[in-house]
Amino acid sequence: MEALYLLIPLSLILVAFALWIFFGASDSGQFDDLDGPALRVLQDDDR
Amino acid sequence: MDTSANYNYKIVRQFAIATVVWGVIGMAAGVWIAAQLAWPALNFDIPWLSYGRLRPLHTNAVIFAFGICGLFATSYYVVQRTCQVRLFSDRLAAFTFWGWQAVLVAAAITLPMGLTRGKEYAELEWPITILIAVVWVAYAVVFFGTIVKRRVQHIYVANWFFGAYIIAVAVLHIVNGMSMPATLTKSYSMYAGVQDAMIQWWYGHNAVGFILTAGYLGMVYYFIPKQAERPVYSYRLSIVHFWALIFTYMWAGPHHLHYTALPDWTQSLGMVFSLILLAPSWGGMINGIMTLSGAWHKLRSDPILKFMIVSLSFYGMATFEGPMMSIKTINSLSHYTDWGIAHVHGGALGWVGFITMGSLYYLIPRLAGKKQMESVALIETHFWLGTIGIVLYIAAMWIAGVMQGLMWRAVNPDGTLTYTFVESVKATYPYYVIRFGGGLMYLSGMATMAWNTWLTMRGTHAIDAPIPLPQPQRAPGGGIPAPEHA
Amino acid sequence: MKDMNAAVALPCWHCGQPAPPETPWQATIDGLPRPMCCPGCAAAAQAIADAGLAGYYGSRTAFAAPPADDAAPAGALYDDRMTDGDGVFTVEGIRCAACVWLIERRIAALPGVAEVLLNVATERLRVRWDAAACRPSAILQALRAIGYTAYPYDAGRHGARLERARKVLFRRLFVAGLAMMQVMMYTVPVYMAGDAPDPEVMDADMRALMGWASLLLTLPAVTYSAWPFLRGAWMDLRRGLPGMDVPVTLGIVAACAGSVASLVRGSGPVYFDSITMFVFLLLGSRYLELNARRKAAGALERLQRAAPAGAQRLLAWPATREVEPVGAAALVPGDMVLVPPGQAAPADGVVAEGETEADLALLTGESRTRRMGAGDTMPGGAVNVANPVVLRVTSSARDSTLALLVRLVERAGQDKPRIALWADRAGAWFVAILLGLTLAVFGAWQAIDPAQAWPAAVAVLVVSCPCALSLATPAALAAATERLLRHGVLAVKPHVLETLQRATHVVFDKTGTLTRGRPALRRTTILGEAGADACLQVAAALEGGSAHPLAQALRAAAGAPAPAATHARYRVGEGVEGEVGGVLYRLGSTAFVAGVAGGPAPPDAADGSSAVWLGSRAGWLARFDLADDIRPEAQAVVQACRRRGKTVMLLSGDAEAAVRTTAASLGIADARGCQLPQDKLDAVRALQREGAVVAMVGDGINDAAVLSGADVSFAMGRGASLAQLHADCVLLGDGDAGLRPLAEAFDTADATLRVIRQNLAWAMAYNLAAIPLAACGLLGPWLSGVGMAASSALVVLNALRLRRD
Repeated sequence: MEALYLLIPLSLILVAFALWIFFGASDSGQFDDLDGPALRVLQDDDR
Repeated sequence: MDTSANYNYKIVRQFAIATVVWGVIGMAAGVWIAAQLAWPALNFDIPWLSYGRLRPLHTNAVIFAFGICGLFATSYYVVQRTCQVRLFSDRLAAFTFWGWQAVLVAAAITLPMGLTRGKEYAELEWPITILIAVVWVAYAVVFFGTIVKRRVQHIYVANWFFGAYIIAVAVLHIVNGMSMPATLTKSYSMYAGVQDAMIQWWYGHNAVGFILTAGYLGMVYYFIPKQAERPVYSYRLSIVHFWALIFTYMWAGPHHLHYTALPDWTQSLGMVFSLILLAPSWGGMINGIMTLSGAWHKLRSDPILKFMIVSLSFYGMATFEGPMMSIKTINSLSHYTDWGIAHVHGGALGWVGFITMGSLYYLIPRLAGKKQMESVALIETHFWLGTIGIVLYIAAMWIAGVMQGLMWRAVNPDGTLTYTFVESVKATYPYYVIRFGGGLMYLSGMATMAWNTWLTMRGTHAIDAPIPLPQPQRAPGGGIPAPEHA
Repeated sequence: MKDMNAAVALPCWHCGQPAPPETPWQATIDGLPRPMCCPGCAAAAQAIADAGLAGYYGSRTAFAAPPADDAAPAGALYDDRMTDGDGVFTVEGIRCAACVWLIERRIAALPGVAEVLLNVATERLRVRWDAAACRPSAILQALRAIGYTAYPYDAGRHGARLERARKVLFRRLFVAGLAMMQVMMYTVPVYMAGDAPDPEVMDADMRALMGWASLLLTLPAVTYSAWPFLRGAWMDLRRGLPGMDVPVTLGIVAACAGSVASLVRGSGPVYFDSITMFVFLLLGSRYLELNARRKAAGALERLQRAAPAGAQRLLAWPATREVEPVGAAALVPGDMVLVPPGQAAPADGVVAEGETEADLALLTGESRTRRMGAGDTMPGGAVNVANPVVLRVTSSARDSTLALLVRLVERAGQDKPRIALWADRAGAWFVAILLGLTLAVFGAWQAIDPAQAWPAAVAVLVVSCPCALSLATPAALAAATERLLRHGVLAVKPHVLETLQRATHVVFDKTGTLTRGRPALRRTTILGEAGADACLQVAAALEGGSAHPLAQALRAAAGAPAPAATHARYRVGEGVEGEVGGVLYRLGSTAFVAGVAGGPAPPDAADGSSAVWLGSRAGWLARFDLADDIRPEAQAVVQACRRRGKTVMLLSGDAEAAVRTTAASLGIADARGCQLPQDKLDAVRALQREGAVVAMVGDGINDAAVLSGADVSFAMGRGASLAQLHADCVLLGDGDAGLRPLAEAFDTADATLRVIRQNLAWAMAYNLAAIPLAACGLLGPWLSGVGMAASSALVVLNALRLRRD
């Protein structure tokens, strides 16, 4: 299943990338308030 | 006009209209080929109209044209409104629109001409795939550029889903599309044989996961709360199941290749991870449906909410049926039969179709500066036409699929096959007719949407809504209108 | 319209509580007058409407929180602390999405404010402002005006530190979980392909690919996620005390080493999936624990709000009476502060000048005020009821009683309960035995079949989950602590649950424990010609501005706002005199009222309640009997104790008669009154000498010694901070439910110990079964890993059951 020699390393790179994004998001406070955004999106008046 | 003070609604409008138009075209193509399966004479012996060439036209038109134009429209709208900033670049956004339409027109021309790479959902030949890649890079720049330039610190969860979909499609498209061009209209895949099959279905199923799941969950997390005027049931869950989905989706692909030349352990791998995927998928479904808690009464009078909630039910059904079908035992019956078609269309018509329609019915009036679609009664009609159409469709195909599977494996005591293949085809005929009827109903529902859209948008110009000011200054006695609440 | 109002008590438009019929308080919202239940709601609603934010009422999905009626922390004192234009405030009372909108819009509209963001999850408001144009006090005031209590948030506080720790732990947990899932994806194909390196099925190269991919993904889990265990083990070894981190680290290292060796060799089992699962589950349990501690810290910080934030420091006493407002935290011993009537002493001190009555309810739970004069000690938090006094500060606010309490609780949260220490020690023995066993297994296999030696040894290490032992107790205690907190029980010391379960006697104090601790009007006896209501109105008018608990009781009983009294004069220890409607009245003690009413005093009530007399020149008008009501839930709680086979006692400093009445109504056989603190302690010691395990429930400063002496003690949260210092557990509860958490604590204690025993039993049974199997080479790596993970998961899930009721 030689295709895996491509897909597995690719997957590892993507995982590392996703992890990097996660840490970046956590650092910049994206996960600090998990209640407010759900409410705020309703306040946006788009009528 | 100071464009930075307004949202770019023009591009959203363009893509929204394109979605509706391509929807009609793609579904019409589907109805046509469904008719051909029942009445083959409908190919009129013209190569351009033969089933083999029209089928990929149908799949490409509904996925890449209807589906992705819908994702373009909604992602551009949601990213602007939740980041409270205009799109990163109007020119690049316009390029994504015209470039994408060029891709779709090229598809509509080349596929009936028989120019195909033969890989499912990746049929388009290499010049078009390069154009797709270029447009996609532009899309990524516009979308992520808008997020970088945002004025709201928190990135709303829908944008995470859209972002994952964009990045995943780029990776999948490029890896699976690697090919050696031989002539302008013919190329050969870099991979061969069962390796190619593995990569093709790695692409294929991740496309389902990241376009048809992640992308549309982005729609769910914005448009359902907005339409229901209730916050997402559990914002925390939405983030958890997002990451769970991202990290478990990679290996479900082999379930398309059970009982083929793929090694057993690879097939089993696909089965196990398809089953595991049930959890994050249902997390999303539950989150979306429970958002309506406290507002169930709205379902009675609001057909847009009906579209949205029913779409989630179909999503739940499809994400349960899929893992079941990836179990090897069950797959031994269902593979190559119309059960697969039933599964796809339950997901496509029920989940993807309905959530797109519900979201567009929310979106289109706002793009025309109105409070709602011109005819709400027509939305209700559309809903019922669509739902009945889906039910007829998938019921017919379920029965056909199981019947085919049983007929194909029926063996006489002396070891010979009981039925010839053509006998199973003949037995399927009535179900093809019923499926055609269901599809026709669904198409007519889409036609009412096109009509309703025309009625709503005719005579209006694209007006870019103003971006709300961050620090309102006003004297006591005046006031910012509070958010709408029923 | 008036008739409708007369018949029906409309709900307050702002907070939803019932408003009195024909309520005089209202606010005009969107042009219509709306009924309000109290001046606080009316003011808040009017402020909202005046700010143009009345849309709040149209879009909210929940009623507003009733505005706090206590004295606002003087905002001006924060102005010198928060000078850089950037600050965080804790906001209480957020009820729904509309509150978020309301708060952000209101603060954004203040001049000079540049940025406002409300974090709904943590209830913290982040504001950036131009220091020249705006001050923190303005922000606090604006929030209070619309009905939200707010305080500056101190990031140095314990709760904030725990929050930061939680964030880091969450990241480690996330990485471990990710590694676990991804590694599983690469090891499952290998398992499915079978053990033998059969090229027909999966060739050696492919296996190697899977193996190396697994290793790459395990590295972050073992280095970053497992870091707390690695570091903990290192510290343990350096100290020579083998804690639970040591076997955990050993397991991880051994499994890693074995796996890498197999990879390099090209054959042999790999354990990466077991390792990652192991790390994930252990971290998960730690995360649960940390979360529980964080919630407890949050509850504590809310408790701490009782501490007054500001003080009026006298600049040059006794030369002048000029005062400057300073933060209470800035006071040092030797400072002279002025404590006006109605305010609380900002720190412990000695009265230097003046004579007054102090309400120590917050500190001692006493319902009567205490007279204080020059030379008397006034603890920080005592409310000055009568006359202004000058206080010489004797200890900084940081060291004052309430602050001490908080620090004690913080420290206690880090201690381990006895049963956890036992588990640690047992674990250490277990590890020693296990290591010995592993070596024996290794040696034995070397003799029989060397190829099996290493796999068998690693299997033994991996499968013999030390984590069930190390998870069994902490996971259960963390879950139990959270549940307790939800029910209003704040465990300050760790042994509360285990000792409570073993308790044989429960001793209750009376005032403030079995009773409310706040006098209420029991009976009005008319002595003259005026009616009861009219007398109450007069009494309430006279007590209009007083913070005295008896005054509050009279005002509460009178209901609607009383007419104002003029020329009111309060005489320390005697009563108050003033004119209402032109007539001179006196309200207070017998002797004081006799001075204007003349004649002999009518008799007291016989039941031990406090009597307050009202008289005028026309004669004696009324006698108000105020007494402390028994808490409504006391009966049920006493019965709950008895049902569990515990003997209930009542020890109180109050008069015998009152104690007897209370004991009779609650069915307590052994009740003693007139108990001095030493008497109470002696009684408890006598019981303990007979082998009893004594639980004590009290709230007053008089109880401090006996609370320390009892085996497990509970202090009422509403009352005595000094008592809380000495108690093992604080019962937080609002008014009505003050004692009910105690019954809940009993239930939880039983449940927790049951779960811990179940967990330990399971851990032992599992190990006894699995280790021999692994030692004989019967358990492959996959099964060992699964067994270990399943065992740990079972323990954690069993513990999590405790969170639910």
